[in-house]
Amino acid sequence: MKMNLAQRHKDAKPAASILNLEGRKAGTSWFHGFQIHLRVTRLICIFLCAFAPLREARSGDLPPCCRKALDAGKPTDKSLYLLDSKWTSDVGKSVPLSVLRGRPQVVAMFFTHCEYACPIIVNDMKKLEAALPAEVRARTDFLLVSFDTKRDTPEALAAFRKKEKLPAATWTLLRGGADDVRELAALLGINYTPDARGQFAHSNLITVLNAEGEVAFQQPGLNADPAALIAAVTKAAQAAKR
Amino acid sequence: MRTSRSLFTALVAMCSIAHGGEPGMATVPDGKYVPLFRGEKDAKEIAVSAFQFDERPVTNGDFLVFVRENPKWQRSQVKRLFADERYLAHWGGDLDLGKADGAQPVTNVSWFAAKSYAAWRGKRLPTTAEWEYAAGAGFTIADGTKDVEFQQAVARWYGTPSPAVLPSAGSGRANFYGIRDLHGLVWEWTSDFNSAIVTGDARGDTGLERNLFCGAGSLGSKDTGNFAAFMRYGMRSSLKASYTVHNLGFRCAKDL
Repeated sequence: MKMNLAQRHKDAKPAASILNLEGRKAGTSWFHGFQIHLRVTRLICIFLCAFAPLREARSGDLPPCCRKALDAGKPTDKSLYLLDSKWTSDVGKSVPLSVLRGRPQVVAMFFTHCEYACPIIVNDMKKLEAALPAEVRARTDFLLVSFDTKRDTPEALAAFRKKEKLPAATWTLLRGGADDVRELAALLGINYTPDARGQFAHSNLITVLNAEGEVAFQQPGLNADPAALIAAVTKAAQAAKR
Repeated sequence: MRTSRSLFTALVAMCSIAHGGEPGMATVPDGKYVPLFRGEKDAKEIAVSAFQFDERPVTNGDFLVFVRENPKWQRSQVKRLFADERYLAHWGGDLDLGKADGAQPVTNVSWFAAKSYAAWRGKRLPTTAEWEYAAGAGFTIADGTKDVEFQQAVARWYGTPSPAVLPSAGSGRANFYGIRDLHGLVWEWTSDFNSAIVTGDARGDTGLERNLFCGAGSLGSKDTGNFAAFMRYGMRSSLKASYTVHNLGFRCAKDL
């Protein structure tokens, strides 16, 4: 089927000639009708093919970590964007956290081999995203940072994104060096330790950073009532700068 | 002949310095640290590779040099993200120790400040396992649990409130490795103070290990006699990286 479509596109006529349908006596024969139908289908195909990449580019190729850094002066004294540490995203780009400045971030730390709590945290974040008012959702990003400096390569993060269907336009997945992960966890107040099975015991905590990167709200625990979280994100989104 | 002998002596001296590591640091040999609490499936011991450890805590005087050379760590310059309002509160000013003594261990420093100091010195903070392993050595033998005098001295300190005026760093009795004041002077930061004591990947919140704080806890722990270690565990678990405390300082470690 794909081959067929591709071949059709090869010999596709300019759109104007296909569109020039008025001059014909529509429906003179079933065959002619069929031809028109084919041409319209062809037109739709061309239209879709032409615009699909554009649509992709808009939503897919610009995850939050790849946006142009906001030129907003020095971060505030309580901003996590004071950190110099570099992080690698699932698209392989190395960035400081400050590229996320400008929009509130809903943050959790996790690891992809996590069997129990992390899927619930991610699920809580997805549910939160779905529950946000549309105008708030459009200005809110989600950030997952891995504890697992060994196994969570950019590829592993990319696979996790795919598996969890995390939209590229709003979700950032990052990995970092052991010291940097320890430091970020310390800043967020997250305790963690590797165990003998290669798992991590860790705090379950969802943090809302405001557009300036300051901790605006923290929700400990899993499956909690999202009302307070929604309120905090909504408030933070009002001050979003992009 | 004499020249060659003195040359030889000099060479030997140089080698021993290279092996002995940095001045002011002692070598802690390979060993194992037995944590107070581990999950059922966890290893009972953590291997600790040999490392160098400061013989005494970092002092006010040491720290003054650091902030002079790194203005962003001066009291008026530091970002609130990295140190709370009490950062170096016992000093007179940015570059003025005030009533603090240069020889006393520096306190009122956050984890970030301690970490930066260590990096500036080409060192690092010790891990909790390293710290505890080194601190487990007695005065006369490596295994402190078998050194009765040592046990009594440690218990005495943890049962006594901090003195109003801190003694000088390095004034305590050296342990088996030549390290002083791991007990008896101030609490100390570790690089991974924010590890452990969470119940495993569990439902519910960050839940500090309940066993740790209730009276029955010590029955389930590895070392029922080591009350001091419980206190350190509890202390670390209550800290946040930007906290500064009047009796919390640090010392540095370095790989061999």
